[in-house]
Amino acid sequence: MVKKWRQQVRSWLMNQLELPADIVMDLPRITMIGHIHIYIENHRGLLTFSDKELRLLLKQGQLLVRGEQFVIKTILPEEILLEGKIHQVIYLDND
Amino acid sequence: MKNKWLNFLSGSVKVKVQGRGVERFINACLRNGIFVWNVKKHGEDVATFFILLKDVSRMRVVVRKSGCKIFFIGKSGLPFLVRKTVANSGFFIGICLFLTVVFLLSNMVWNVRIQGAKPETEYRILKELKQMGVEKGAFQFLLDPPETIQKKLTDRIETITWVGVELKGTAFYFQVVEKKQPKESEAVNVRHLVAKKKAVITDMFVEEGQPLVSVHDHVTKGQILVSGIIGKEGQTKFVPARGKIFGETWYKSTVILPLDAIFYVLTGKYMEKHYIKIKSLSIPVWGFQKVPFAHYETERRKQALRFWKWELPLFYERVIYRETEEVKRSYSWNEAFQKAKEIGKEELEAKLEEDASIKGEKVLHAAKENGKVRVEIYYEVVENIAIPQPIVQGD
Repeated sequence: MVKKWRQQVRSWLMNQLELPADIVMDLPRITMIGHIHIYIENHRGLLTFSDKELRLLLKQGQLLVRGEQFVIKTILPEEILLEGKIHQVIYLDND
Repeated sequence: MKNKWLNFLSGSVKVKVQGRGVERFINACLRNGIFVWNVKKHGEDVATFFILLKDVSRMRVVVRKSGCKIFFIGKSGLPFLVRKTVANSGFFIGICLFLTVVFLLSNMVWNVRIQGAKPETEYRILKELKQMGVEKGAFQFLLDPPETIQKKLTDRIETITWVGVELKGTAFYFQVVEKKQPKESEAVNVRHLVAKKKAVITDMFVEEGQPLVSVHDHVTKGQILVSGIIGKEGQTKFVPARGKIFGETWYKSTVILPLDAIFYVLTGKYMEKHYIKIKSLSIPVWGFQKVPFAHYETERRKQALRFWKWELPLFYERVIYRETEEVKRSYSWNEAFQKAKEIGKEELEAKLEEDASIKGEKVLHAAKENGKVRVEIYYEVVENIAIPQPIVQGD
């Protein structure tokens, strides 16, 4: 109840005050350089990783990256830089 | 993202993780503040990645809680490099030591060779050289330059006329010319004795030959005094004429002496500085303090350093500062006149041979001109005027 209400307040604030969405709503910020690099901030941990697939936990739902020859160049508690050949970036909602 | 170069400095380890839940293990690492990079997956439950060397002990704790096994499969970075270098330092030290030894040996004296000297002279030379430090095993850059050695040797040993000093690589070569002993001068060719300059004969000592002049005779330059041809006409014989003919000769000299003069005298105090020179750059090795003298003379002794048989572009330089003192000298006119006369006499005596004597002197002219005294003196000298002239025998 309270959680939903807070979400709505934040959404309203973002629209009214023109604040960046990733800060106000704790959403991931994804930067891609062509199809060779993907840089994801604000993730919540690694779920699965192989050389063809990366699955990250987000605050709401999961992020699935598919491709080939994946290497995690750097990983920090809230950031990850993935290198390889990226084919797909998919959001999975689980609520 | 952290800097890769800093990772190199602190050292990193490549880790292989095996087991279920490799991803969970990586998450656990991140939560514990372990920096992880270059994660690669090899199959279902094997992954490799790099961590910092300092995080290894912290990761062991994480491993214990997870169900994974870890293997360290590689290491890189400065700490490992250093460890390797330390392990191999024996080689490095050996190479340095070897080069130093070769360098030192190349700058030593390994041979002292004396040629042209009689055994006793050779022994004396060797003794003098030893005193100067020139001997087997001495360092060349601590020795005097060859010219100085040459001068000292000729000064100290009176039986040698000349000595050639040469430094060839690591060997000193001494070429000695000894003074001729008087006995050896027997085999002279037939000759006359002639006058070397205009004179009046005062005394004659003829050992061999036919005297052609007598005491009080006035002779001119080149005139035959004692003939080498003796015997009656028709039965002449050629002999080497020998003897001493003393004659009165005349010399004129002019001495100019300033009344006031400033000159510098060495006080005997000195200090040394040592440098290693590379082209124009000189690195002080010893003697860093300032020269404590107000007036001084500098003497530079440069010695090339060599390696094996090559001369390096490296010099060992010894700079000697000798303190000087300013001395002001001023003469009155009378003093200057006396002094000028003394100087004139000394100069003449230095020119004359030992058996000559100055019989009289006469001042022709003495004048004072812009701060200087100019004295012209006329000397009467009795000296041996005979010089040999070989007889050229025709057929």
